Amino acid sequence: MRSVMKIAAVAALGSLALTGCGSKPGSGTSGSGSSGATSAAKAVGKKINACMVLDTGGVDDRSFNQSSYDGMKAANKANPNISIKYVPSNSGADYTPNLTKLATGGCATVIGVGGLMSDNVKTAAKTYPKVHFAEVDAPGTGANFYGIQYNTAQAGFLGGYLAASLTKTGKVGTWGGLNIPPVTIYMDGFTEGVQYYNTQKKKNVQVLGWNEKSKKGTFSNSFTDQNKGKSVSQSMASNGADIIFPVAGGSGLGAGAAAQASGGKLKIMWVDTDGCVSAAQYCKYMVGSVTKNLSGGVQAYLKSSADGTYPTGNYIGTLANAGVGLVDDNNSQPAALKAELAKVKAGITSGSIKITSPSQPTS
Amino acid sequence: MSAPTTDEELVVHHKVVQVGPSRARQTAVAIALIVIGLFVAIVLASTGTHPNAKFGFDAGGARVHVPTLSLPEAPFCIVVGALIVLAGIYHLVRGFTPAAMRWVGSAVGVLFLLAFLAWAGTGGRTVQFTSLLQQGLFLAAPLILGAMGGILCERSGVINVAIEGQMLAGAFAGALLGTVAGLFAGIVAAIVVGGLLGLLLAVFAIRFLVNQVILGVVLNVLALGLTGYLFDAIMANNSNGTDNPGFFGPAKVPLLGDIPVIGPVVFDQNYIIYAMYVIVIVIDVALIRTRWGLRTRAVGEHPQAADTVGINVLRLRYQNVVLGGCVAGLAGALLTIGSVGAFTKNISSGQGFIALAAVIFGRWTPRGALGAALLFGFAGALQSVLSFLNPPLQINSNLLGMLPYVVTIFAVAGLVGRVRAPAADGEPYVKGSA
Repeated sequence: MRSVMKIAAVAALGSLALTGCGSKPGSGTSGSGSSGATSAAKAVGKKINACMVLDTGGVDDRSFNQSSYDGMKAANKANPNISIKYVPSNSGADYTPNLTKLATGGCATVIGVGGLMSDNVKTAAKTYPKVHFAEVDAPGTGANFYGIQYNTAQAGFLGGYLAASLTKTGKVGTWGGLNIPPVTIYMDGFTEGVQYYNTQKKKNVQVLGWNEKSKKGTFSNSFTDQNKGKSVSQSMASNGADIIFPVAGGSGLGAGAAAQASGGKLKIMWVDTDGCVSAAQYCKYMVGSVTKNLSGGVQAYLKSSADGTYPTGNYIGTLANAGVGLVDDNNSQPAALKAELAKVKAGITSGSIKITSPSQPTS
Repeated sequence: MSAPTTDEELVVHHKVVQVGPSRARQTAVAIALIVIGLFVAIVLASTGTHPNAKFGFDAGGARVHVPTLSLPEAPFCIVVGALIVLAGIYHLVRGFTPAAMRWVGSAVGVLFLLAFLAWAGTGGRTVQFTSLLQQGLFLAAPLILGAMGGILCERSGVINVAIEGQMLAGAFAGALLGTVAGLFAGIVAAIVVGGLLGLLLAVFAIRFLVNQVILGVVLNVLALGLTGYLFDAIMANNSNGTDNPGFFGPAKVPLLGDIPVIGPVVFDQNYIIYAMYVIVIVIDVALIRTRWGLRTRAVGEHPQAADTVGINVLRLRYQNVVLGGCVAGLAGALLTIGSVGAFTKNISSGQGFIALAAVIFGRWTPRGALGAALLFGFAGALQSVLSFLNPPLQINSNLLGMLPYVVTIFAVAGLVGRVRAPAADGEPYVKGSA
């Protein structure tokens, strides 16, 4: 009896794991029916089926999946000839089956979201040469694999400069969800921005939580655990940091809670999206948001595709093309600082200010 | 039987033989202690960046200011290392009794930690000691409550793998009701929802004899999916109206809260933490000293025997499993309205499983689980503090993350001895089947 139970247990666990993989296509084609009514939309170019494979966060993660799919929706709204749909991934094991399903299921272009599936997309692009692939946050190669990348170190640099200008204690902090390049590129940029401020102003603002040289720093080891995020932020605050820049998705909300618990003594900066929109409850503690225009990149790619040419190579979002940027929250920038930031931005764009983060996208 | 002398004759004198650990294990533990001591006295003492380590003891809310302590690192480490070596030598030659060894082990752990902090504090940044303890308790609190929920179930013979799910559901209910009807309503909702999941566990485990481990896993998946769905349906697009409960601020206990170091850590907390103190003490006392506790243990160890003396095994199991669910639900409330004031998907992030580990490492006793949970929480806080303390040698944060578990395994293997679950843990009881 006992051994039967054990076998049943293993079987049940196994089937649980398997059901996790069998994801069905999302009903993302919504909107195409109604959008015919909107007067702004113009059906131009050829009809294309655009499909998207999302990463594990899901279409409503208020982060990179949602932003990427927003780009699809915007493209569809602007041009109803672009019909859209998405498939969520429940784990890394879903990437290849999802890509295969879409590539063989009549999609003209398949967009993968998030750098984690880049190898899978690369393989799929080789296997299905007639389908055009694109991936958000990974470099593209070959004729049918387009990379949509962002040099977020540039925006992080501006954020670091801003934080260094605003700190009253002379210490700012940054921490990440995991020690992986898409996260640490922000921390690199932030740190370099603070250092640039220090050399310009002959100050000594310290950065807690990240050492660009040794690549070691503070991480909550989670993108969902808010409590750990709050704890990390409070530890930093007790060591003197008064502005904290978390790069950790949902875990980063804990920094907002820490700011709230401090009664506003602690300020935060948000990442990827404008924090006053995506984490509105903590808006009043924000001095700025380091943003990455995922939806814009995806939309531009689809527009070009529908117009007849699938772009090749890479799109790299920069400060110059407004692919990345620094949003001012709560009018935190006095006029003088605003002018300084504009100068720094011009310096980065022109190349007179060099950012050395090795995580920056090249090519 | 009338004369007192005959009574005395009836007393059977058990010869109590204290079985010590084997000679080999004693030697191994002693050598380990000596190695640790030498490591502290030689390596840590000689590699500090600056001669002095600074310790700060101030934390928000404390009225008494404690000056920053500047500790000469090398002499401190040498003294601490020597003490640990002496303990090792004593253990090698004479041997501590198992009871004494537990204290010695804890003392060595604390001493090692202080030496390590002193070493890490030589990098020029101050070790904020009080804040470190605060964060340790903050991170440990959900684990402690979750573990208490687990103990209530497991001591009465039902395995509770669903702590994670109960916490998650409690966290959701706490945030939702906390927003709609106020924070205290949120607490009640979290307890009720946790209890409902406990009831589900109880019904399937006790009534339908479903394998309890699988059941727990299923309940976790259920809670994850359900709260995720409800989050999308209710909260995602209306976060101000449904997911913005705020959170309990600290409520300082007068006088006690002003004690240096201990005050801000223990007595300047929110209501759920105070409730946690009470719950831990009540469970610890009740499990050993009350009729309910005796019966619970009987039902968990030998339900047939308990049944034959007239204890209603199934009813007691139902009660305790539901109660355990309630406590785990409260642990969930701690995650949202006790801490960050908003629910997000999978906010529990596996803490229920760590709580389960604390139950097991704590040998199914409230005190043991408390200790294990505090160790886990403290190690988590230490991990983040060390990462920006600028110690002489930067340690990989993944290695640090591993530390509490390694320490626990050694502690359990070396100091605590064999771990034994309640004998009937996970065994459904069917009247007359045995």
